[in-house]
Order: sequence, then structure tokens, then C-alpha cells
Amino acid sequence: MRTRLIIAFIVVAVLAAIPAAWLVNLVLPYYPSLASLAAMPSPLSHLLLVPPGARTLAHPRTVAVVVFCLVAGALLLAVITGLAVAASRRVLLPVRRLARAAQRMVGGDLSVRIEPNGRDELARLVTSFNMMACALEDKICELQRMEARARQFAGDVSHELRTPLTAMTAVVDILPGHPDLTGDAAGAAQLVSQEIRHLNRLVHDLIEISRFDARTAQLVVDNTDVAAAVAACLRARGWSDVVTGIPAGLTMPLDRRRFDVILANLIGNALCHGSPPVTVQASIRPADGGEQLALLVRDHGPGIPPDALPHVFERFYKADTARSRSEGSGLGLAIACENTRLHGGHIEAANLPSGGALFTLRLPLPQAAPAVLPDGEPVTVTSS
Amino acid sequence: MATVLLVEDDPAARQGLELALRRLGYEVRLAETGEAALGGVCEAAVDVVVLDVMLPGVDGFEVCRRLRRGSDVPVIMLTARGDDFDIVAGLEAGADDYVVKPVEPRVLDARIRAVLRRMARAGSPAETYGELVIDRASLVVRRAGREVSLTPTELRLLLVLSGSPRQVFSREQLLDLVWEHDYLGDSRLVDACVQRLRAKIETDTSEPRYIQTVRGFGYRFGPV
Repeated sequence: MRTRLIIAFIVVAVLAAIPAAWLVNLVLPYYPSLASLAAMPSPLSHLLLVPPGARTLAHPRTVAVVVFCLVAGALLLAVITGLAVAASRRVLLPVRRLARAAQRMVGGDLSVRIEPNGRDELARLVTSFNMMACALEDKICELQRMEARARQFAGDVSHELRTPLTAMTAVVDILPGHPDLTGDAAGAAQLVSQEIRHLNRLVHDLIEISRFDARTAQLVVDNTDVAAAVAACLRARGWSDVVTGIPAGLTMPLDRRRFDVILANLIGNALCHGSPPVTVQASIRPADGGEQLALLVRDHGPGIPPDALPHVFERFYKADTARSRSEGSGLGLAIACENTRLHGGHIEAANLPSGGALFTLRLPLPQAAPAVLPDGEPVTVTSS
Repeated sequence: MATVLLVEDDPAARQGLELALRRLGYEVRLAETGEAALGGVCEAAVDVVVLDVMLPGVDGFEVCRRLRRGSDVPVIMLTARGDDFDIVAGLEAGADDYVVKPVEPRVLDARIRAVLRRMARAGSPAETYGELVIDRASLVVRRAGREVSLTPTELRLLLVLSGSPRQVFSREQLLDLVWEHDYLGDSRLVDACVQRLRAKIETDTSEPRYIQTVRGFGYRFGPV
């Protein structure tokens, strides 16, 4: 806006300067004292319509009339320019406000509204814009409410299932191998017991994922030795045929439980769907602006079908639709993904050219901060 | 065998858990509401309370808070949600440990055993640290000459930490030594218990003298 004003004034000034220069030349012969000024080299002299020094004769009265006309013309020009600028401002200002409002909507702020000014077409455009923003906001809010209700429902159902499951889980151990149960009854008891465990796992995973949806999942971070965490994960699940290559002393702040869930899902997935040997390797690598932990889990099986690759982290996704049910809940990799995201990292799935699937877990390393001691005493840390 | 007060409003869950606890060899008393639980602890010798969080009327957190005013009986919260909010609120209310429903009987058994386990008495003479006197023979803690009332878990935490003054224990180690949790225990148990212990033995909990935090590592006792 300001630039245009400046340009307008420059134009007016230049337009006014040309006749002024001509005028000066006209008057000079009558005022010899000014002639010395005109003789001085000046950028203005290029604009002179009459070359300096030329003899031009005009009566001072004529000059006065010309001067009056010129000044009046210049003033008129300035007024017209001012009016044009004001008119353009009246049009441009609401358009600019509209553009800004639209930008804010693009940025996700649907509450933006513009105060309409006047009764012209622009005001009507502003009113229409407001109505559109209103309708859009209502629609999005309704969609968000529906989504929240659906998620809440899934969470509530899972919670409700826990109460009957508590009673069943408490007594289920009594059934298998009970001396009173023989033949079909023993088989049925075995099946019921096994399926209660499966149901438990499913409900547990559903509640876990609903906590991510509700954004109530929290990190409880501890300084963790990665190699020890992997070893503990394998030991706790009895997975003895996994090859690990993790440097000793690689520690970083992690939520132990959540990190274990990530490891168990990635390694369990490799053991279940891939072929041995399953390897787990970890290293610290430079990443944008810092360092990251890269943990690689690979198997030597057939790999992931290319059409399944983009979907492996989706909830309840099964690469083989014919397979009715797997060991897990179908939520394992989705939960691993959410836990990784909570740590600020991500997981990538890929197929190796040599065969087998490769899952890469990447977690950013925080900037190193030394342990703070209240009184500067040396720290004795015992190794567990 | 230990007596467990089971506070659970859902009849099926109450019946199932009672059956499981009896099979594990516990004496079981039942309470359906928070009010009944508060009365039950007073009238009968109860060794441990297994307390459901979601109770009609007085909820589990409030029951725990009221219990703590006059009793050091160990409390294990039984949370149906496992929500972080529930767990933190339960620990702040004074619970020693928690389990998430549905709980397997062997897990509940292990937790009950852990909170009931007392530290072995040692024949060593009472140790004095500033105003604090820790008598490992009689398992009594005095601050400025006055006996401090501690729950078994708080006492164990203090004895473990003060057993090796100046040594830093990670929260993981403390979970293993005090709560006997597996490697995936919830370290917030340690933090909550440290807070309660500090409230009882420290003069200024914002500048603890005895139980000191070593950020990024864990806790240590002293140097006083």
C-alpha cells in the first residue's frame, strides 16, 4: 500500500517538475541573478525543454498565467491520484482481509470471521465467506464429535469387558487339568481357558490403543540400557533363537515398559511371520540436528507382500485375508507405532533385496545433560 | 496365613477373586462398598487390603486416604482402567502397589506377598543420621526422638536406601528390591513412595536431606 502511494507521488512530482524546469528557463533571462544557478551542472538540466543559454522571450504576465495553470494542473493531478489510491484502498483492503482469513482457515483456524463493511458487492462477498466458514466449522466439529464418540465407545466397550474378564481370569486356572473334567469336558475347559487368555490380550490391546486415541498415554522415562532391555525382552518371552548385535553401554532415556512393548511386537512379528535367523541390531546414527538410535529387526523369511507393505502398521490389518486369526490381537504393530511416536520417533518397514523383512525403529536421542547433584558429591551408580 | 480384605462392588469379580485368593491360601474378608471397607479394617485384623478403585459412594482413592490417616496396612489398588490418571491418583492416595484388571491370580499373589514381606531384622545397633535413628533390630524409625509410623513398603524402601548410604539406586533396582516387580515395573511406584517417605522423615520435603534425588539415575540416602 505504502509503496503504491510513494510511486504515485513520484509520478506527480516528475510530471510537475518538467513544466517547472521549462518555466525556470523561460524566466531566467529576466532575472540575471538566477542565471548563474542555471549554468550549474544539474541532473535537472537534462529535463529542460529549452536548452540553457538560449534566448527566449516571454512577458512576465504570460509567465504568471502559465505558472498558475501548471501549478493548478499539478494540484489537480495530485488530488486525482489521491482519490484513486483511496478508492483502490476501499477495494483492496477487504480483499486483503479475505485473503488473510482464508490463509488462517488453511492453517486450521475455522473460527475466523470478517466484519462486513458497507452494503456493496464486497460486503456481500464477506458475508458469504463468513457463512461458508460457519458451515465448515459446524461440519468439522460434527465429524470430530462423531469420531470422538466412536473412539470413546471402543474404549468404553473394552473397559466394560474387563469386569467380567476379571472374574473369569481369576478362576480360569482351576479348569485345565482338573481331575473332575475328562473327555470332552477337559477339551472344552482347555479351549475356554485358552480363549479367555486371547480375549484378555485383545481387550488389553484395545484399551492400550484407545488411550493413544484419547491422548492420555504418558511417558515414564528412565535412563535405559538398550542391550539390557532387548536381552530382558527376549528372556521374559523365552525367545532364545534371536541374534543380537547391540554395543554395550548404549543408554538413552526411554519408557521401559513402552520400549519393551515396541521390541516385543517387532521381534515377535519377525519370529511369527518371518524365518530364522531373526537379528536385532542397534547403533547411534547422526540424524538431522542431532543423533538417533536406529534399531534394526530383520528376518530371513519371504518378506512382506508389496501390496501389504504400506498397511502393516494399520489396526487389525492382515496381509493374508484367508488366515482367520493369528496369535496376537492384530493391534501389535499399530501399538508399537504409537509407542514409538510417543517417544518422538518412527518405525519403517521394508523388504531386503536378499529376502526377508526389515523393521527399523528410529528414536531421537535427547541432547546430553549431565546428572544434577544437589551438593556436587560424586555419583556411585551400581550396575544391575 | 495372611488375611486379605477384598473391596470389590461387582459380585462376579468379587466371587472370582475371593475363590482365587482362597485357593492361594489367604483368609479372605469381603466388602462391597467403601464404607464397609473402612469399618472392616477397624473391626478385624486385616494384613492387606485389595481395593477396587471404582466403588459406588466413597471411591477407592478416598477409602485409601481415610485408611492412611489411622493405619499402615498395605493397600493394593485394583484398577479396572489402568489409566495413568488412576494409577497416579491411587499412589498419591497412599496405595503401596497396584494391579490392573483382569489380574492373573499368580500376579496378585506375588504383589500381596511383596507388600507383606517384612525386612529381616538385623542385630546391628541403631544407626543415627542427623535427627533420624534407624533401628534395624526392632525395625523402628525415630525422628527427633519420636517414632515415625511407616507402612511396610515405606520401611523397606528406607532400609534398602539407608543400608548403603550415598549409593545411588536406580528406580528399576528399587522396584526389584522393595516391590519385587519384574523388570517392567512402574517406576512411579518408587517416586510416590519416596514422596510419602519424605513427608514423614524430612523436615523440608522441597530440600530433602535423607532421601536425595539424583536426576537421571535414581535416589540415594544422604550424605547427611
